[in-house]
Amino acid sequence: MATLWRRRERFLGVLGRLCRTVRALSGKNEYDLLVIGGGSGGLACAKEAAQFGRKVAVLDYVEPSPKGTKWGLGGTCVNVGCIPKKLMHQAALLGSALKDAQHYGWNIAQPVHHTWSVMAQAVQNHVKSLNWGHRVQLQDKKVKYFNMKGSFSDPHTIRGLTKAGKETIVTAENIVIATGGRPKYPMHIAGALEYGITSDDLFWLKESPGKTLVVGASYVSLECAGFLTGIGLDTTVMMRSIPLRGFDQQMASLVTEHMECYGTKFLKRCFPTKVEKLEGNRLQVTWKNTDLGTEETDCFDTVMWAVGRAPDVKTLNLDAVGVKTSSETGKIIVDASEATSVPHIYAIGDITEGRPELTPTAIAAGKLLARRLFGQSSELMDYDNVPTTVFTPLEYGCVGLSEEAAVQCYGSDNVEVYHAYYKPLEFTVAERDATQCYIKMVCLREREQRILGLHFIGPNAGEVIQGFALGIKCGATYPQLMKTVGIHPTCAEEITKLHITKRSGLDATVTGC
Amino acid sequence: MQCPIYVYPGYLLAWGLPRRGGLEPGTAAVGLAVGCPHPTYLILLSPQMAQRLALRQLLSLAPRTLPPQAPVARHSRAFSTSANCKSTFNVQDGSDFQDRVVNNPKPVVVDFHAQWCGPCKILGPRLEKMVAKQEGKVLMAKVDIDDHTDLAIEYEVSAVPTVLAMKNGDVVDKFVGIKDEDQLEAFLKKLIGA
Repeated sequence: MATLWRRRERFLGVLGRLCRTVRALSGKNEYDLLVIGGGSGGLACAKEAAQFGRKVAVLDYVEPSPKGTKWGLGGTCVNVGCIPKKLMHQAALLGSALKDAQHYGWNIAQPVHHTWSVMAQAVQNHVKSLNWGHRVQLQDKKVKYFNMKGSFSDPHTIRGLTKAGKETIVTAENIVIATGGRPKYPMHIAGALEYGITSDDLFWLKESPGKTLVVGASYVSLECAGFLTGIGLDTTVMMRSIPLRGFDQQMASLVTEHMECYGTKFLKRCFPTKVEKLEGNRLQVTWKNTDLGTEETDCFDTVMWAVGRAPDVKTLNLDAVGVKTSSETGKIIVDASEATSVPHIYAIGDITEGRPELTPTAIAAGKLLARRLFGQSSELMDYDNVPTTVFTPLEYGCVGLSEEAAVQCYGSDNVEVYHAYYKPLEFTVAERDATQCYIKMVCLREREQRILGLHFIGPNAGEVIQGFALGIKCGATYPQLMKTVGIHPTCAEEITKLHITKRSGLDATVTGC
Repeated sequence: MQCPIYVYPGYLLAWGLPRRGGLEPGTAAVGLAVGCPHPTYLILLSPQMAQRLALRQLLSLAPRTLPPQAPVARHSRAFSTSANCKSTFNVQDGSDFQDRVVNNPKPVVVDFHAQWCGPCKILGPRLEKMVAKQEGKVLMAKVDIDDHTDLAIEYEVSAVPTVLAMKNGDVVDKFVGIKDEDQLEAFLKKLIGA
């Protein structure tokens, strides 16, 4: 019975190859669209294209991390990014809420304890359900799925390789590269690769990471260090220079200031030189303190590298087809229509140069690309005024320009900055420190006073900023904001009440009613 | 497979096994122990035997065999007096599914489940128990959708748990989500009877 089955499969394989060869010889490509990469951008593009009745296929493959971690369909966001991050951030917030609860009358035995394995199992289960959900969606939308690693043979041909080494050739009229990125390892540091982990591994750990050192000043580093502190682990962040490069620096320093008060240790202006393993699996890290000029060491259970992400282009064989990449970052260079240097080859998401590394922008770009290719649309993706949030213990949400960028663009005389230090009502009874709860709005000074950027630090920053992003997209002005009535009592209403300028020099602390 | 669970008679009482009516201390029996979702094998102990065993385990000594008159269950395959282990099986691959489900002369219920699915952990054992009650008239095949994604996709499984009733290779009935024992009984009886 099994032999008959195998013979049947072999026959079908031969038949498939014969059909593809015939099609190739006749000049017809097998698929209208082939997407390499089953992440946020790739899946959105593929599903949108399939809506137009096109023949679409997706290739997705996860190369295991150096520690051996691997995951299913869905890309970085679903498996090792936004989703598990936000869930673990929530776990940490709940810990704080339990501490606050006493003040509100709840009888909860202090101190509260957290079990990593229970949280990790629940998060991992949810992620796996999302992997399955994506698989079902592809099936429903009639998108063919290959669990293979793709590389270019020519501009219309991709060679797909399964884990077992089986090869499949796929041809397509249009190809979209959406392979994203992977965390970098600092290869110049001895022991970095052998003993350190990255965000790829953190969310899939079965056991608690214990006393952790997170190296890096990116939002990945701060968000991870934030929730690790929140669930009760001894956590240290090591930063070479400034935190959250690219973000408004005043807001970035408020974020790190809060984290320090919250319990995260910071090693500022330090960089690691080596990592060694001790008995009992502990790791000894040696680093240089550039301020003091000293060398220091300490022991940790886990060292996590959050020193940047590298585009996943190495195995694509882009040279074979001439797709140009940036010499500085290695990312694929695209124009406003996501086209690469080769006709009919496009790229979207984290792999592209000069674009935000965000899920919603990748999804939007993917959908618009599909509509332009197959739906007679000419709408391009607008990358301006993209809102985002850093999910540190005290969240930071923003949309538009930072103060530095606005001043650089328009000059400090033409920019007005409104700001306020506020206290969330919920913090009062809980006796929580609100020193870093701050809002800043950057506007043009001339007649209309258009809002250039909005920055908010406080609880639920993401929820707060989302609505205001619409206003800014529509070109909202300061007078229009002043006419907007706030909802009371909320933190968001403080934005509608901004009236103290930085220029005035007045104390920006505002009180509630 | 789980290790044998040693329980006081009191625990078994909680699950409805009669104290009177022939269960001597030292007898092996099948039942559901507290906190255990699957039927497992147990050894009924007298309080003195249980105390001795607990003390031994506390002192980290290898548990000695019980007094000669008590049969001792080993840490291996499920020791079961019911047809449980024969009426339920895990599907190994596509050809296994063809052989044991599609080409099976008996009707088969196929339980598509996943490790990450909470409701599946409730439905699975419940369905197994009801299938076992049918005394071999129907079999149960378990398919983990992450291990056998192609199979699950082929049978259009979207949410889990999804249970298909198969007869002579055709899907004759199906349901999605948890059902109680009475509903499962009716589902199985319909499959056998039809």
